[in-house]
Amino acid sequence: MLQHVNVNIDGANIRAVRGTSVLDAAIEYGICIPHLCHVPYLPDIGACRLCIVEHVVNGRSNVTTSCTLNVEEGMVILTNTDKIRQLRRNLAELLVAQAPNSRAIQDIALRCGVKEVRYPFRNEDCVLCGRCVRVCTEVWRARAIGFVGRGKERHVDYPFGIRPEFCKQCGNCVQVCPMTIPPCDGPMKPGEEYLCGKCESQLMLADETPDHCVWCKLGEGFTCGRYVQ
Amino acid sequence: MPSQTLEQILEGRRSQPNQLIEVLQDIQANYGYISEEAMQVVSKGLGVPVMEVYRVASFYTAFRLKPSGKNVLTMCMGTACHVRGARLLLDQATGQLGVKPREVTPDGLFSIDHVNCLGACALGPIVTENGTYHHHMTPGKLRKLIGTLSHQAVEGK
Ligand code: SF4
Ligand code: SF4
Ligand code: FES
Ligand code: FES
Repeated sequence: MLQHVNVNIDGANIRAVRGTSVLDAAIEYGICIPHLCHVPYLPDIGACRLCIVEHVVNGRSNVTTSCTLNVEEGMVILTNTDKIRQLRRNLAELLVAQAPNSRAIQDIALRCGVKEVRYPFRNEDCVLCGRCVRVCTEVWRARAIGFVGRGKERHVDYPFGIRPEFCKQCGNCVQVCPMTIPPCDGPMKPGEEYLCGKCESQLMLADETPDHCVWCKLGEGFTCGRYVQ
Repeated sequence: MPSQTLEQILEGRRSQPNQLIEVLQDIQANYGYISEEAMQVVSKGLGVPVMEVYRVASFYTAFRLKPSGKNVLTMCMGTACHVRGARLLLDQATGQLGVKPREVTPDGLFSIDHVNCLGACALGPIVTENGTYHHHMTPGKLRKLIGTLSHQAVEGK
């Protein structure tokens, strides 16, 4: 028997299955919490920080990632306060500066209301979301790739940098990577990056209702959990 | 010369994944670095996936994945040493020796390392040379130190 708990997300009383995350509960209910590193069938590690929410306890609120926060009886969550929107916009801005060459990330930036990028573009090809590492570890049990190094040297690699024979070459790591779909106009060259923003027309509805899921077309691009459910 | 072989280090710890860090520390202490082969042996011996061994070994700066030079210069880059000019010391060393941090000079005599705090902040900036602490370092003193060390090596001491 599934056990349920009652949580309050943005004023809505939601009956959620015990053991699920606040993010999953919100998405299922149709509340939009932008997220990048979360993949519904993989364990969450809270890498991208986009899914932050305010968790109100005794009148004080903590900002925390909703994908790693499990639902509890009587929980009060706010997903769309000014503070959260501002923090989230900044996080999305940093992500798009790190990796402008991803349609998924350009889409997320737009959904999070990024209008200009104030940080220098780095044009890296990885945002360390750990999707590839988790799919290889958890689904295929191959452990052919993982995080190597730490701090600013942290990156994804094979053991000793060489593809091991136990890599099943399943290609799943590539499939889940948000970096594999380039922006519509093709890859941007270093020094010529920009905030894409072309899909803005799609956002007419989304802009007015930032807190509901509007099944935005963008969600397909960044593989929003709602499309996978 | 290593006082313990890999086999001896693994003795009594086989199939105990929780011993990973201790085993890596012993290998580091005995060999001065952790080679790819050693990581493969550890992975089999402890039953830890090789990716996991490599991830852990590459994470901690206490583990070196390549042999170090005869003389190891360790610059403290901690906050206290940083504000007292540790950057200048690092620039002095890398410039004089022509190698980047965590690399070895072609003659195998020197390698440069940096750490985040040696716990002697009041005496900063600190540079250690093969474990000996040199306090209140300046680029000038460091230049002389490197000079003396390479001299000693040339004279075969
Ligand atoms: S292709 Fe190799 S590295 Fe990628 S998920 Fe499959 S087993 Fe892992
Ligand atoms: S390679 Fe792709 S999936 Fe893997 S961590 Fe980087 S951005 Fe994420
Ligand atoms: S989705 Fe929660 S931190 Fe990335
Ligand atoms: S910061 Fe250098 S010893 Fe503490």
